[in-house]
Amino acid sequence: MNLYQSNADINIKLPQGKAGYISKGNTDIRISGVPDPECRRMRYPRIGIYAGSGTSHSWLWFVDMFERMGFHAVSVLDAPAVRSGRLQQMDVLAVSGGDTVAIAEALGEDGARQLAAFITGGGVYLGACAGAYLVMNSSKPHLCHFNFAAVKITNLSKRLPTCQSMPHKFSIAYGCEHIFHPVREAVGLRLTGVPPFSGEPALLVPLYGGPGMLAPPEAQVLARYDHFTDKTVFLVDKDLAEETLISTAAALRVPMGNGQMYLFGPHFEHPHYHRANRLVADAVYWDSRRNPDECSPVARDALQLPTSESANLIHSLRRELSNSRIVAAGLEMFPVWWLIGAKAYEPEKIRVFLDAMWRRLKPLEKRGRIWARAGVPDLLMADACETTSLLRQLKNELDQGSVTDPTARTLFHLLHRNTMRFFELYFQTISNNLTP
Amino acid sequence: MEYLSTDKILVIDLATSKIEETALDESLVSEKIGGAGITKHLYEKHLNDDPIVIGTGLLTGTTCPASASGLITAKSPVTGKMCHCPVIYKVGIEIKFSGYDYIVVKGVSDKPVYLWIHDGVADISDASGIWGKDVWESTDSLRKFMGDDLLQTMMIGKAGENRSDYAQICYNYWSSPDRFGLGKLFGSKKLKALAFRGMGLIEVADHENFVRRSLEILKEIKTNDFMTKKGIAEIASAMGEAGVEEWLEPIVHRHSADYFTPYATNTAVFLDEDPKRVEESKVAEPGVLISDVLALLAFKKLGLSAEDAGRALKACAKYGIDPAAVAELSGKSSLKEIVDSFDGLSGTVTLKGKGSFSPWCPLKPIFNDFGLSGDAAEAEAWWERRQAVAMIFGIQPIFSVMCPELSEENMLELAAIGTELDLTQEILDRVVADLLK
Repeated sequence: MNLYQSNADINIKLPQGKAGYISKGNTDIRISGVPDPECRRMRYPRIGIYAGSGTSHSWLWFVDMFERMGFHAVSVLDAPAVRSGRLQQMDVLAVSGGDTVAIAEALGEDGARQLAAFITGGGVYLGACAGAYLVMNSSKPHLCHFNFAAVKITNLSKRLPTCQSMPHKFSIAYGCEHIFHPVREAVGLRLTGVPPFSGEPALLVPLYGGPGMLAPPEAQVLARYDHFTDKTVFLVDKDLAEETLISTAAALRVPMGNGQMYLFGPHFEHPHYHRANRLVADAVYWDSRRNPDECSPVARDALQLPTSESANLIHSLRRELSNSRIVAAGLEMFPVWWLIGAKAYEPEKIRVFLDAMWRRLKPLEKRGRIWARAGVPDLLMADACETTSLLRQLKNELDQGSVTDPTARTLFHLLHRNTMRFFELYFQTISNNLTP
Repeated sequence: MEYLSTDKILVIDLATSKIEETALDESLVSEKIGGAGITKHLYEKHLNDDPIVIGTGLLTGTTCPASASGLITAKSPVTGKMCHCPVIYKVGIEIKFSGYDYIVVKGVSDKPVYLWIHDGVADISDASGIWGKDVWESTDSLRKFMGDDLLQTMMIGKAGENRSDYAQICYNYWSSPDRFGLGKLFGSKKLKALAFRGMGLIEVADHENFVRRSLEILKEIKTNDFMTKKGIAEIASAMGEAGVEEWLEPIVHRHSADYFTPYATNTAVFLDEDPKRVEESKVAEPGVLISDVLALLAFKKLGLSAEDAGRALKACAKYGIDPAAVAELSGKSSLKEIVDSFDGLSGTVTLKGKGSFSPWCPLKPIFNDFGLSGDAAEAEAWWERRQAVAMIFGIQPIFSVMCPELSEENMLELAAIGTELDLTQEILDRVVADLLK
């Protein structure tokens, strides 16, 4: 059976005011329409996904995961949106991978204050990889504003160990110290059985630079690193990798005021790891308690485009995304990568953004009329055309052996911005259609 | 039409720039199967607009061995009759992957244009930047502009622009099976090119069974002795032409096959680079890819060296002119004279066969005898039927005259598995009869 189906089914009913409950019990039947003594009533949450400066492509994994599970009240937020208080309209904020320091810098002190107010006010914070590092206590510039959890990082070192493979993915400076990444790819976790992570004794999840964690007393350990797998890639000596990660916390639930922070070392939201995805959804249901009277968020500033305008927009987007994808696929033949901020970007990442939009054109078309804020369709198309143009320029530069870093930086910035814009329109269209 | 299909027919009117899409009805596939069966239907439907119908076979781009071919159906400027020209290399499959099973181009543009067909989107684009350029320059120009080295093109050169009766539509950089002067038809419509690219996927009804049967057929094919051979010279030898291998061998660089075709029917020769070079050539235009065995033989018979024959073929490909017509009509025996003859080429070419299918494909069995008795009329009837079936299912035409294992029964079986339609021998016989009448 499709693991997402039970979530999708309940997420159709919740916005209509129907009751659903998530059980604390250690059972496969965690979600039902019937309450039991230790269950919690579920709410249809308004979810913010941070996709602003500092993020990599992995925020799109949260998008995929939430959409598959029928969480359609999703807003994609950049740093100005967080700083301006839009966060306070959300029940959940998800922050995935990227450059932690760059995220902290983009959000700044104002963003940190907004985030603290959001969590203490009862919000659920989901932090994976960079999103987890972000809220851990630190004295480093920018990060020092986000001292929300007294978690110790086990893969932090003053002296870098010897790197055995993938040097461009191995470490990131953390003040005068270094975060190093002992392994990548699939690792095995042992779950502790603490709610809401019940019913799963063990599971596999992908690790792409996230932390091993030592929990403070107030935190609950939900899962620990248990073993490596035949898919695990070792970036350091295997003994050091074991010493750094095995038995340390891989998932924590940390209280802050009336809210909760879920900190994930691995990417539980990765679209290939369905069982881990379901645990993230359980966390959302278990702890979403803000604004209980409002369960059906509507993008009230969006307007519905006429049918012909909607069709034209989708056709134009299909044209430009196709043009972009065709060039991007060809770029994947080049042995090249770019260092943007502290993260390495390969050509394959370009199509992650483009395909995320491309595969939603048909679903969007089926919705008929599109909802969008005034001006957004024009901006979307202008950036889509500019993306194709930049990709062709990049291909030309690669053919000629020229320096490509400036073009690549501009391109990824544009891809981020336009993908965010697309998902604003996409979820506005879907969530408005949910409203009776 | 859900399976083995993009479910889309595109109709482009160059006179009005109007672009329409219609669904491919399953009933049409049940009646006409696909490929030439349907392009002929569309040609007749749009007859008053002098249409060029580009299509794919029902099996084109699948795991069916040699399912490489698309086709162009149009009125031949050479014969004045409707003809079906194979689309080979990787161009045929790209038509389907670009989002359309069939494309009808009608009307006449008032300015040079090219059609950019990609991922189910069709754009009519200004070709003024490439009009006047040869096939190679134009292909390079489009690929550079689109930022894609794998862009697949149908392109005319100066012969087509100047409306020579022997103008050929070239595929990418290379000569094609166009013996029908279809390049002239492109030129008369001010249609410089079609460019195809797409990342579409084809749904197969019973995909596991389809792949299993495809691999079984491939395994049967691999029992043939010809599987130890490769290249165009071996084809010439099998046709009874002596000495071609020795003549061509010194300049052979490599052999290449069309999409998923078990025999490499094409041979690349190097003319301005060491043919034994393994690394990528540093010369911009080191040689030419030869797919036209009869044109190659014709130049050999004029007394050209292999290198000069290669240079003549390269010049034809750049100019966009049928090399077989050049060899037959120029009457020249030096490379310079041959190339100089392009502009004023005139006369009547000999087209073997009935004129529906391209005699670019040898009119006899290659490597196998297919149980034929040797009677000429029987061989011609066999060839016409074999080509018709290849053009219905999308099979590489030369491979279809090599390989008995790619039988009508096997193709029908794969088509039925792939579509869940009841496609019978009776239907196929009816479609073939319609194509041959």
